[in-house]
Amino acid sequence: MDEASSRIAEVTQASTAGFFAQCYELFDLPPLGSLIKCRDGENEILAVTCNASTSSLEPGRRPIARGKTELTEEDVFRSNPQLKQLLKSEFEGVVLGHSFNNEYYHYLPPRPVKLHSFVYLCTTDEIAEFSRSLEFLSLLTSARTDIPSEELVAACIRFISACHADPSTFTAAAGKKLAQIFVDDYPKLRTILLRLKL
Amino acid sequence: MTLDLNKVAGSIASMASELAMQSSKRVDALNAAIGKFENPGDITLLKQRLAQAKTSWLLAEISGSLNQRFEPLELPPDYLVIATDGSQIDIDRHHPARCCLINIGSIYLQYGQNPASMLESEPTLFSSPEELILKPDGGNPGREISIEGPLLGIKRTVEEFRYLSQLARKLSAGLPALALVDGSLILWGLMSKDLPDFVVDSLLDKGVLKYISEIEKLNSQNQLALASYISFPRSTDVINSLRMTVCPHQVPDCDKFCTGIASGERPCDIMAGVVDRELFWACLKNNQRSDVFISQSKISKTRYGCNQIYFFYIKTGNEIARVEIPEWVACQPELLHITHSLILDQCHKGQGYPIALSEAHEMAVVSGADRQNFFYLVDEYFAQCKLSTLTSAKSASKKNRWI
Repeated sequence: MDEASSRIAEVTQASTAGFFAQCYELFDLPPLGSLIKCRDGENEILAVTCNASTSSLEPGRRPIARGKTELTEEDVFRSNPQLKQLLKSEFEGVVLGHSFNNEYYHYLPPRPVKLHSFVYLCTTDEIAEFSRSLEFLSLLTSARTDIPSEELVAACIRFISACHADPSTFTAAAGKKLAQIFVDDYPKLRTILLRLKL
Repeated sequence: MTLDLNKVAGSIASMASELAMQSSKRVDALNAAIGKFENPGDITLLKQRLAQAKTSWLLAEISGSLNQRFEPLELPPDYLVIATDGSQIDIDRHHPARCCLINIGSIYLQYGQNPASMLESEPTLFSSPEELILKPDGGNPGREISIEGPLLGIKRTVEEFRYLSQLARKLSAGLPALALVDGSLILWGLMSKDLPDFVVDSLLDKGVLKYISEIEKLNSQNQLALASYISFPRSTDVINSLRMTVCPHQVPDCDKFCTGIASGERPCDIMAGVVDRELFWACLKNNQRSDVFISQSKISKTRYGCNQIYFFYIKTGNEIARVEIPEWVACQPELLHITHSLILDQCHKGQGYPIALSEAHEMAVVSGADRQNFFYLVDEYFAQCKLSTLTSAKSASKKNRWI
């Protein structure tokens, strides 16, 4: 994947712990739990995706059903070419760490990403390298998002494990780390573990 | 205190019952109009009477057969619709900055195998005397006219047509296309006798008509139609023409024969109060259009030349709309078909109102908050340049409400 095709979105709202980004292409949303990055000079801020949505660009204008007389869903857009200009796909990035001088750190960066920063999909190598240490699970499990955190944690571990040569070993190690984190919250731990391919 | 609706509710109730009492009369008038529309008698004779009539109302000149209906043709596989709409911030006489703003929304929609769209808005600030004042050409003597209020509205219409002709130049050749604007093609606001001729010349001849002619020149293959769309029209041109069928006089002349006769008592008042849209709602089926009529508006007849305005009514399913077209569209059957079919399709796609116009409006609209932010920005730049930002005491009093 070249740099141009991995650039999928742009930051539209940013804070230390996370950001919101709008996709360049409608519906071109990264999967839940995938890893993305923004650049800050030579360094990078890594985040996990969640809370993806597609909605009207203008808060006061609600999309209405248009397909009653159309044969396919594609035909709805074919008959209404303006729709792609009036809708937006966006998602939230929860920061899991950052890089500095070519080293990954699994805690919050000193500054938030800049507004209008480009958002890139992380490569398999970057994901494998970043997740060599499981310390990122600390930020991941404490993330406050609109979706249940168990769903985000499980989706992220599933996504990252696929980037490792031995996904089962990675998942088992992540499961052990989660057991330490949720030592006093067994129901939550169980919910996550049930969502992992152990 | 604010508006006390309790105090006016009684008057509203009286208004509603008054209208309800008149409704049976209106049904009779509408039936009379429908009767004459379906059986107008000798059309050639009626056309002659219309040409000779001297009425105080605007008549519709019959270009075809009066009551023929037309079904839409099938949509072409690929086609384009372009549209513009505008909004303005008028000069605020209480503000130190003498300036105004026109915001134009432009829409390009391509349908068919390669659907595409473009939605843009373009604001323009007018602040120099050359932009804000109209004066006679070549230093000729004459009073200067400031472009504000209703004249700014007409200037906005000129800008809508300027952007529409720019969009038309970008159209892919070979595809049927419709250029659409909202409202009337007839600049009624320029009919005031108080306006000097150079104002009409500047806004009409060198403005709207120039751009309409530019669009016509792009229509080399009879593929590009131009039309304006009037939703819920109040016009009575066709009804007025039908009134002539019941006038007992050889040559209808309102001033000569009916001066002194109370309104409602004249022979032609059997159709009084009916508007064209009520007639065509009853006489057209869904998707049909009426025959084409020629507007007898003085400004259209005397100033529009080959762009003289014709019109027809169309039943979109949701309402009767009036569609105005220049002569070069009305006289080309291909362009008439394009106008009819594409307007219907636009209305179906736009929940009853042409989607291109709806989106053009959305792009152009200037809200109250936008207006406020605009003047805040002006104030900010004035302050940076150490210019006075003093407003009138009246304006300050409205902004800072106190007890």
